[in-house]
Amino acid sequence: MNNEMTLSFVAKEENEALARMAMTCFITPLDPTIEEISEFKTIVSEAVTNAIIHGYECDGKSLVTIHAVIEDHKVTMTVRDEGTGIFDVEQAMEPMFTTRPFMERSGMGFTIMESFSDHLSVESAMGSGTVVKFEKTFSPVTEVSRMR
Amino acid sequence: MANIVLRDSGILVVALHGELDNHEANQIRAQISSAIFSGQVRAIIWDLERLGFMDSAGIGLILGRMRDLAPSNGETLILNPSPTMEKIFNFSGLGSNIRHCTVDVAIGEIGGVLHEQ
Repeated sequence: MNNEMTLSFVAKEENEALARMAMTCFITPLDPTIEEISEFKTIVSEAVTNAIIHGYECDGKSLVTIHAVIEDHKVTMTVRDEGTGIFDVEQAMEPMFTTRPFMERSGMGFTIMESFSDHLSVESAMGSGTVVKFEKTFSPVTEVSRMR
Repeated sequence: MANIVLRDSGILVVALHGELDNHEANQIRAQISSAIFSGQVRAIIWDLERLGFMDSAGIGLILGRMRDLAPSNGETLILNPSPTMEKIFNFSGLGSNIRHCTVDVAIGEIGGVLHEQ
């Protein structure tokens, strides 16, 4: 099962739901479990929210781009912004670290993305933006797992 | 969407529906905070039974309201999260606030007045 897609939208908070919905539809043919769908949606939501809030400060005009490929049961997805960039990626990935405590950002985004994906990498440069790349393999549904 | 009810024993019950992301948290934060500050709230029960999705914005929202309640040592309980939400709460150190029970049982645990049905 192979497929590929690209989705771009402006940096508005309302588009967080759009991104989750589109990406959920994209992986549906892999016949994921409810928990796999829900973890994947969470990854998408965290990455896209970071791009909108931190990358572009919700400017409503710059574009966030999601690119995703399905190869067999593996999904490879990148979420890209060309915004602010992350000053120190290692620090940003520490649990509870946030640059925006006053906005009640919990600082848990990267911890969640790391835990819910098989592989996560982050490339970022100040002033030119951030690309977050994920890989997640979905468990092939077998007759046995359907009967559980 | 949030359905907020102040029970007469000073326990705020916040039932969440739909999808709780950063956008939604920003929509409902003020409503919940003003319920805390206008009433004699001594505890919050978050009922997540009907919440379909939550990301780390939910953690920010709940931790923020725990701070609102801190001056009165208010308690926080989180009811019936989905397995994925439960993982997120556990990553964030909120695992011990989770209960799988009805709102009435949670009110009983906090020591509220339970009216005979």
